[in-house]
Amino acid sequence: MTDGPLIVQSDKTLLLEIDHDAADDCRKAIAPFAELERSPEHVHTYRLTPLGLWNARAAGHDAEQVVDTLLTFSRYPVPHALLVDVAETMARYGRLRLDKHPTHGLVLTTNDRPVLEEVLRAKKVQGMLGDRIDADTVAVHPSERGNLKQALLKIGWPAEDYAGYVDGEAHAIALDETEWQLRSYQREAAESFWHGGSGVVVLPCGAGKTLVGAAAMAHAQATTLILVTNTVSARQWKDELVRRTSLTEDEIGEYSGAVKEVRPVTIATYQVLTTRRKGAYPHLDLLNARDWGLIVYDEVHLLPAPIFRMTADLQARRRIGLTATLVREDGREGDVFSLIGPKRYDAPWKDIESQGYIAPADCVEVRVTLPDSDRLVYATAEPEERYRLAACTPQKVKVVRDLVDRHAGQPTLVIGQYIEQLDELAAKLDAPVIKGDTSVKERQRLFDAFRSGEIGLLVVSKVANFSIDLPSAEVAIQVSGSFGSRQEEAQRLGRLLRPKSEGKSAHFYTVVSRDTVDADFAQNRQRFLAEQGYAYRIVDAEELGGLSA
Amino acid sequence: MSADLSSVGRVVSTSRDDAGFRSLADQLRAWSDDRLARLLAARLDLTTPAPHDVGHLASRAAVRASISRALDTLTLLELSVLDALVVAGQTTAEDVRTIVHAEPAAVDAALDRLEDLALAWHAVAGLRPLTGVADAMGTGPGVSGLQPRSPEPPPADLVEQRVAELSPRARAMLEHVVSEGGEATTAGSRHTLLPEEASTPAEELLARRLLVPRGSGSRVHAPGEVGLALRGGRTTYDAVDAVPEVATAERGARLVDSAASGAAFEAVRHVELLLELWGTDPPGVLRSGGLGVRDLKAAATLLQVDEPVAALLVEVASAAGLLGSRADAEGDPVWVPTDAFDAWTDAPPAERWLRLVRAWLDMPRLPALVGSRDQSGKGLNPLVPELGSPWIVETRHDVLEALSRLPAGEVLAAGTGLPSLVDHVAWHRPRRPASRADHVAWTVREAGLLGVLGLDGAPAATRALLAGDDAVAVLAPLLPEPVDHVLVQADLTAVAPGPLEAGLARRLALVADVESRGGATTYRFSSSSVRRALDVGWSGAEVHAFLASVSRTPVPQPLTYLVDDAVRTYGTVRIGAAEAFLRADDETALSELLHHPRAGSLGLRRIAPTVLVSTVPVDVLLDRLRELGSAPVLEAADGTVQVVRPDALRARTPRERRPLGAAAASDTARVAQVVTAVRAGDRAATSRPSAASASSSGGPALTPSGALTALREAVETGTTVVIGYVDAHGTVADRMVDPLGVADGSLRAHDHRSDDERSFAVHRIRSVRVVEG
Repeated sequence: MTDGPLIVQSDKTLLLEIDHDAADDCRKAIAPFAELERSPEHVHTYRLTPLGLWNARAAGHDAEQVVDTLLTFSRYPVPHALLVDVAETMARYGRLRLDKHPTHGLVLTTNDRPVLEEVLRAKKVQGMLGDRIDADTVAVHPSERGNLKQALLKIGWPAEDYAGYVDGEAHAIALDETEWQLRSYQREAAESFWHGGSGVVVLPCGAGKTLVGAAAMAHAQATTLILVTNTVSARQWKDELVRRTSLTEDEIGEYSGAVKEVRPVTIATYQVLTTRRKGAYPHLDLLNARDWGLIVYDEVHLLPAPIFRMTADLQARRRIGLTATLVREDGREGDVFSLIGPKRYDAPWKDIESQGYIAPADCVEVRVTLPDSDRLVYATAEPEERYRLAACTPQKVKVVRDLVDRHAGQPTLVIGQYIEQLDELAAKLDAPVIKGDTSVKERQRLFDAFRSGEIGLLVVSKVANFSIDLPSAEVAIQVSGSFGSRQEEAQRLGRLLRPKSEGKSAHFYTVVSRDTVDADFAQNRQRFLAEQGYAYRIVDAEELGGLSA
Repeated sequence: MSADLSSVGRVVSTSRDDAGFRSLADQLRAWSDDRLARLLAARLDLTTPAPHDVGHLASRAAVRASISRALDTLTLLELSVLDALVVAGQTTAEDVRTIVHAEPAAVDAALDRLEDLALAWHAVAGLRPLTGVADAMGTGPGVSGLQPRSPEPPPADLVEQRVAELSPRARAMLEHVVSEGGEATTAGSRHTLLPEEASTPAEELLARRLLVPRGSGSRVHAPGEVGLALRGGRTTYDAVDAVPEVATAERGARLVDSAASGAAFEAVRHVELLLELWGTDPPGVLRSGGLGVRDLKAAATLLQVDEPVAALLVEVASAAGLLGSRADAEGDPVWVPTDAFDAWTDAPPAERWLRLVRAWLDMPRLPALVGSRDQSGKGLNPLVPELGSPWIVETRHDVLEALSRLPAGEVLAAGTGLPSLVDHVAWHRPRRPASRADHVAWTVREAGLLGVLGLDGAPAATRALLAGDDAVAVLAPLLPEPVDHVLVQADLTAVAPGPLEAGLARRLALVADVESRGGATTYRFSSSSVRRALDVGWSGAEVHAFLASVSRTPVPQPLTYLVDDAVRTYGTVRIGAAEAFLRADDETALSELLHHPRAGSLGLRRIAPTVLVSTVPVDVLLDRLRELGSAPVLEAADGTVQVVRPDALRARTPRERRPLGAAAASDTARVAQVVTAVRAGDRAATSRPSAASASSSGGPALTPSGALTALREAVETGTTVVIGYVDAHGTVADRMVDPLGVADGSLRAHDHRSDDERSFAVHRIRSVRVVEG
């Protein structure tokens, strides 16, 4: 028995004891192939998944290396079956590859003929492959490059894509680092991506993913299409690019519901691309409007299904995905892997936080008790009504007001799901509210005012969940959410994780109703944050007074 | 050994180098008791039933079934040497050394072994194989396919010269004949002619006596010396003492040990986990005696392993006596852990492993067949009798020994390793069924799963086990040591960074759900898991105290809150069991009753100002209350609900199989006993006239075994005998015959009267008499 920091479990989880002397070395050694699942305070849990192992293969690690790493750092003997499984899984990657053929165009080749035979007989790839060129080579319809990769991943034989990329229309882009510096992890992330060709960079909210995108563009030196979640986010990208790169306002176009500009760098929203009219996507032409050299996907974990289908046709273009988490609520992680690319860079939140790039957060869950009359209403309500009833209890208003008072003078966001509740809160707190029907212009104005400090309190609906930079927010109070979405919790906390002046820590409050589904959902969401290393405290509304600010 | 015995039957009583024995029996008589014991120990089948005397023993040793068993234990080299003896006929050791394609020393060792096994012996005319060996070997492994040499072969150089003179076509034909078993038919060829007259290749060969007619027909054969000449004076082209190398790769002894002990720990843990569950929730025994497919699937899911692995563990647990069957409450047979399981669970992990591995090594069963179908298309389930296989035990030992011979840290090479191991094992035991490749592969796989091999290499513990050393002492330091603490985290999980002490693990499993198992265990706290602890009577304070005592780090606030929350909502609605309840509007009357000095035995309890409950049945309570002049009510005595735990079922341990040592000891004892018996029988036999010479026609009838012994002796020595034969009409007639072989209750012999080969039923032979002169 050695005294390693790692415990390898037979269910393919790896437990890393982080107080161990060798924990750091071990983390670096296993990071390429194991996915960090949770990182609470003492023991981090990594998981070995086929995707993770294939990611490692894509990065040039082989099975023997993985096995040796596990055996070297493991405190206890490693389960035999797991080692066998690692070797077998990793051996599946690279048996097939997509190549460019001088005469046949795109071809699928193999170094293991039975695998090709198996694939040719698979139902899932029917119709994507053309003629058999020789025993080990088969032609691929160029339009099926993405679909084929998706299908091959599903049947467990992921293909390596060596078919290369088109350069795209050249366009000079440089980072303008006169007043600031690209952080080391941002630089590493952009470089890992560039060497890998295409892929996903995973960084926590507030860690500066926009700049990674900008650095990638500087590598590509080509026209770029940037896909973002919404219009406000598109404007922020534009501002950031103008500020941080050699690009000027005129070179950057916005393609959204309001404006339709196509320029060397175009920022489009998912929404406009997925708008359907008479069963067709009228704005799909944008994807081919220019000879794009790079496509940037912001918030990959939110990528809507139609965009996946479109992305399948864009396999000849370089793609970079940016996200805070690879966890998709719809479980389509495999599609991200096959269509955008393997994970190219990853850093745990806590690490970046300890480097001082994002603010530490103090998370508190406040539990209110429903009055007896409401409990009876709640108990007899239809199941689908229950959450709304519990989440919107008037009891929360008083708690929110207490919290706002406690943090008077600190920029505060109140975040919620239900419009009536938000309206009521806004009225009681005398604060402006931003919701779905607020015009883009009004939103922009309010956000600007919040950023500049004119407004100290803002009530927002879920429109503010993503990609809106409110770096000055120091306190967030969450009153309701979308049924315990973990990813939403991450985003909301992300609003707060921009570095604060004087290293102050951010405050994140969740107000929930005790003994209802609201508390159950809250537990689900809090678990995500606890797993990220943010310890929750839970207090009763009555004891709020005793809480130190 | 007494002088009179050693001289019996000895033709020339000198050392064996210049003279031989008249028969195998004579040679055996001349052996020391020790050597005889060695023979019997190596060929145990000869001891059951015990032979009467040495003659009988020699006769039994020549029975085909017994020869086959002995041949099964030979290596390729030994088989080849035996084959060379068959080809050479009676010869010298020197000659055998020349014609076997191997190192002389190796050939000598092989000859000694063959003699020890009584498969070869020293006849007067030289070293010879036991009659029947050639038949028993058939065309199996180690057989060169050459015909026996002519009784008086021409000198080797003359044969070579004749071969050299052949035309290319004739040579090709000869080579073909020799490679196809040395026999051919030559219809239309003249048999007696001079080389110059030969017109066809066949005639060329016949003329040079390279093919020799057999009998009067057109059948010809190439005598052994011709085959030898073709193969450069050897019986085989290839060296037969070259043991195929096992293809290996170097992985380092530490890695091998670590991988193996990992698997060992897993196997032990899995068996424990599975049987623990089956103790409370046993699967049924199929009518065929096995375990159902669905139960196997459930076991695999529970253990997070594949079904074949689960099948192996179930089989091993059963072989180790940890799993047995008994009737459940409804009287249906179910699989449950035996009472030995409880003792096993308390033993240290390394000892538990040893018990499993010993059971596996000597388990004559093929768990790998589970899930496949038998000939009738029926799926095979674990624990059914059909999985038995006598060969696999030896294959397991052979494989493990082969891998243990490698230097520490050497493992089977990926890809080429397994086939080379099959070849290696095949050289040591060539006469094994064709399924050997499968058996070897299964053995390697199963050994890997049980931690007997690590990364396909033999770890130190396995080497110790095979060498008879203390494997437990080697393995124990490699296994995780029990820990007495956990790390509790804010995401409501607790990680035990090693196997927990048994009591601690049980208590923790009560308060939290197990999420992941392995070297460490991850637990998750939830309100339902905490409630479970409250259900069995823990108080909130106890839960807090327990967490604080086992956690090496401060208990996180959300967990404390969770426990408090669970306690808060726990028991909001209370259910109590009461034999009777008491209500009274007069609260004071109840209080009075409650505090009555003689009411203590009534178990009175106040659950509301106006309600008391009692644990005493109504009828008793009534009487007592009347005595006291009042009335009562109650929840369960401690205010909580008692859970009824299902009893853990246990079956009786199957009768202990004889441990290996005991079996060996009893074999040794048996061998010694048989040797003594044989010697005694021999003395008795020699004190009366020899069976072969004394019984005459009309004399006392021979016992069947006496007749057999006498006839086998005659076969061995090639003597002519007169047998008293009872024909179909019941008349006894003397027949002079040259016995050729005894098998299946009949004697095959050349009958002088009819000058033909005939069969005689042994049970009709009343006497056997050697023709003198």
